[in-house]
Amino acid sequence: MQRSLLSLPLNFSLRNKLFNAGFRVIADLQRLTDSELIHEAGVSQQDVLELLQAVRGEGGDAWSSSTSLELLQKEGESRSIVSFCSQLDEALSGGVPVGKITEVCGTPGVGKTQLCLQVAVDVQIPPCFGGLGGHVIFVDTEGGFLLQRIEDIAAAVVRHCSLLVEDDEQREGILTFTVETILSNIYVVRCNDYIEVLAQLHLLPDFLLEHPRTCLLVIDSVACPFRHIEVVSQRTQLLQSLGLQLTNLAIRYNLAVLVTNHMTTRLQGSQSQLVPALGELWGHAPTIRLLLQWLNSQRVAIVVKSPDHMEAIVQYQITSDGLRDVDESV
Amino acid sequence: MVFLRADMCPGLDSDLVRDLRAADVKTVEDLVSSNLEDLAHRCSVSYKALYAIRRVLLAQHSAFPVSGADLYEELLSSTAIISTGNPSLDKLLDSGLYTGEITELSGGPGSGKSQVCFGVAVHVSLQLKQNVIYVDTTGGLSASRLLQMLRAQTCNVEEQMEALQRIRVCRLFDIFALLHCLHTLCSDSSSSSSVEGGAVAAAVAAGGGGVEGVSLQQASVSGGSVKAVIVDSVSAVISPLLGGNHTEAMSLMIQVAGILRTMAKDFNVAVLVTNHVTRNTSSSRSCGTDVQPGLGVSWSHIPRTRVLLERVEEAGTGIQPSVRSATLIKSSRQPCFLREEFDLRFWSQTKTSTSGKRKREESDS
Amino acid sequence: MVMSSHSSFTVKTKTRAEIKLASEERIKNMGESAARPGDRRCLKDIEPRLFSDDGRPEQGGVVELYGPEGTGKTELLYHLICRCVLPKSAGGLELDVMFVDTDYSLDMFRLVSILDSRLNKALPKSSPSAGSDEEALLRSCLSRLLVVHCSSSAQLLLTLHFLENSFSSRPSLELLLIDSISAFYWLDRCEGGPSFSKQEEKLSKCSDLLSRLLRDYRITVFATCHSIRRVQTGLSSSASLSYSSDSDRSYLCRSWQRLVTHRLMCFRQEAANNTSDEAGSSIQQRIQQVFRVHCISSFSSSGSKPYKTNSFYVTDAGVEFTSV
Repeated sequence: MQRSLLSLPLNFSLRNKLFNAGFRVIADLQRLTDSELIHEAGVSQQDVLELLQAVRGEGGDAWSSSTSLELLQKEGESRSIVSFCSQLDEALSGGVPVGKITEVCGTPGVGKTQLCLQVAVDVQIPPCFGGLGGHVIFVDTEGGFLLQRIEDIAAAVVRHCSLLVEDDEQREGILTFTVETILSNIYVVRCNDYIEVLAQLHLLPDFLLEHPRTCLLVIDSVACPFRHIEVVSQRTQLLQSLGLQLTNLAIRYNLAVLVTNHMTTRLQGSQSQLVPALGELWGHAPTIRLLLQWLNSQRVAIVVKSPDHMEAIVQYQITSDGLRDVDESV
Repeated sequence: MVFLRADMCPGLDSDLVRDLRAADVKTVEDLVSSNLEDLAHRCSVSYKALYAIRRVLLAQHSAFPVSGADLYEELLSSTAIISTGNPSLDKLLDSGLYTGEITELSGGPGSGKSQVCFGVAVHVSLQLKQNVIYVDTTGGLSASRLLQMLRAQTCNVEEQMEALQRIRVCRLFDIFALLHCLHTLCSDSSSSSSVEGGAVAAAVAAGGGGVEGVSLQQASVSGGSVKAVIVDSVSAVISPLLGGNHTEAMSLMIQVAGILRTMAKDFNVAVLVTNHVTRNTSSSRSCGTDVQPGLGVSWSHIPRTRVLLERVEEAGTGIQPSVRSATLIKSSRQPCFLREEFDLRFWSQTKTSTSGKRKREESDS
Repeated sequence: MVMSSHSSFTVKTKTRAEIKLASEERIKNMGESAARPGDRRCLKDIEPRLFSDDGRPEQGGVVELYGPEGTGKTELLYHLICRCVLPKSAGGLELDVMFVDTDYSLDMFRLVSILDSRLNKALPKSSPSAGSDEEALLRSCLSRLLVVHCSSSAQLLLTLHFLENSFSSRPSLELLLIDSISAFYWLDRCEGGPSFSKQEEKLSKCSDLLSRLLRDYRITVFATCHSIRRVQTGLSSSASLSYSSDSDRSYLCRSWQRLVTHRLMCFRQEAANNTSDEAGSSIQQRIQQVFRVHCISSFSSSGSKPYKTNSFYVTDAGVEFTSV
């Protein structure tokens, strides 16, 4: 089958020029010198450059290919971020994975933001303590990023690590692992609407170049700015491209992406049901979906969707130090 | 539309091409549909010569009718049915995925689409010893899960690694990248020669790719042939377009469909794609279920077989979170609305006692 | 090495063209002299159950089958193929059919199983050696079918030009099926850019060519056309009242619309034995899907616009009409 020129990411005017000149498939471009092309289609030098780039498959639409064995090796090298709730970490085989999108859904007050804050601190645990020593971008759309809270959690993590010090390297490491450094390595971005969120993500690749140690992107929450877009088709479209953009970021820059989402009521016949907000289509975007909810006055986390794991229910609690296992004494 | 060129067929030299152009006959199509007598007069060339050129060009550029008997014969010898590895799904699909066809799995988030795709990939690469191309547009492919599934079926590490080697993963997050990827897969790997013309022409001749080992032909040379192409998910790259320029979105969607169909037929592979579902908000119950596969009416013609995956929700306590139902909603072989249930844990279960999942957890801790 | 394989490839394409030319010659010789229009029989009674008595397709008629996915359009085409290619002894017309497949929708295995069961029904098993006879019979039926794949509207146009030879040389080739005529609609729309006439140019050219072929060779055309908008599922029961509703209007170019003499509107009907639909997914028993087809012909001998509605369901032996 011949490949149509329509399959190239060209701008409208260039495409129309080519079609009006009678070009239809990519093979039509063969055997033409560039000057002939400029003459035949009435295009500019600049257009030829764009065409060249598109034909080569360069630019934003690049794709990569590898065998799954190579992928397995890559996966073996990539790490997960612990949550300090060992049951949850076990259910996710190590915690919040790098290179994937993890979504946390739940009703207000169940602990979504707490989980985000906890992970934002945990990602910074130095490698000598088995952590990633990474930096964080925290996109806050609800004003849930409370400095007091993050200080408490950071202090608890520093305390925890200082108890583990055994060798010289760790003694060295703990000196630079303080509440101050933790706070200075979290880049908080406040966004008020979806346009700001999208703009921020658009600028992110530049930021990541300047801050190569960043390995966690938190969006708390993704529901708040997007929920209230009135036109459903517009909302779906924006969310779908957001999903692709996040996947792309996660894989290309090796980021752990952690987003939170609200719950909403769906009527099905006479029954009503609590389901994650933003519609079913959005649900395909995150690779892992966690549902936080109350079960018999106990907080539980359910792994609803994950390619590696079976569904699991684990208990957790929120203490003044952050997210912890239930049986752990405070 | 194919441009007339001097070396296309005997009798068509550069002078004639120039004369034809002057008479506003630029493409094969123009030549074929123009009045030859008139044209011969205007280009001062004999009618007979022009007629011969027309005949050759037509033979070169039109599709050729094949007798139904020959087609059937060819299909009988080339069609293979590829088992999914899961008996319930095989039963639903009339013993498996057919090569030369597009099969679609649709379902909501967490309905097990990717798991079924993984299962098929593992089965084809391990049991059938054939190559698989897995196009991952959601970043959901997990090689460690593939390994888990492999471990459940064989303890031989070498076999596991060989099977993983046979699954080639293409990662992309954009419709144009998908088209580029699929066309590269279909392209003739040996076409990168005799470059004339400019840089664009050279890029075209090079197949635009330069990514090694991903042509279906090339892949089949290096031991085993590609028998399955999996696109998980096709809706992730198409659905973001649907709210925008409608014509543009439709044309891109039809192109994806076209190349997938060509791939299935010409390279005789089974194509498996995944799709999301949309929910009928109105309470009309006319079509049996209230969920439909996504991507709309124009896409609905594309897959030959469509399967809807759903969670089996049992009210009360006895929830089995890993049980899924598969409903056949389009098929030319089996009655529609056939329904089967299967357990996602199927692919983790071993013939020996310990499950692959447990093993993995132990090795992790 | 790359060079050599490339040149062998070009050689291959060239020989393909040569083969085509040669077989074109062969087809011509087979038909001996060019067919005269009068040689062709009338396909009026190809399927009387679809058309009203005074509105059957004449020679040169174009029938459009219109409907969304899963409404039995392709099944109807299989039915027509079978009607034509089956031997007279099995109730067929023993005619040749050209099937232009633009959608890769032709399922040969399905067609063969329909043919098989119809042959079995019509011809009772006589001798023990019937197996090989049946095989040969099936093969002779299939050889009356010619299939051609097209992957773009430009190729469709060139192919129609190319097929002119077949029509002129094979008088038994009377039926042209196109599945589907709307396959390249979106591509043409997009390629045409802002100009509307440019968008429709290719299909217009195809239609003009077809109209000449119809006039010169007196063939009959059946073409499917996919609907491009989702029909409200709730409406399907009341759709009989609003056949000419907006969503069903043809969106293809004018010259195609002018060509169409009959339109068959295809619908999916509620199952007759539809029992419990409660939980939405608890459909355990096999539902007999009933399809409805409504025919509108644009002109007839009596001058009025006749129409006819019939229903069918699909079995292993293909389409079974519910009424005669």
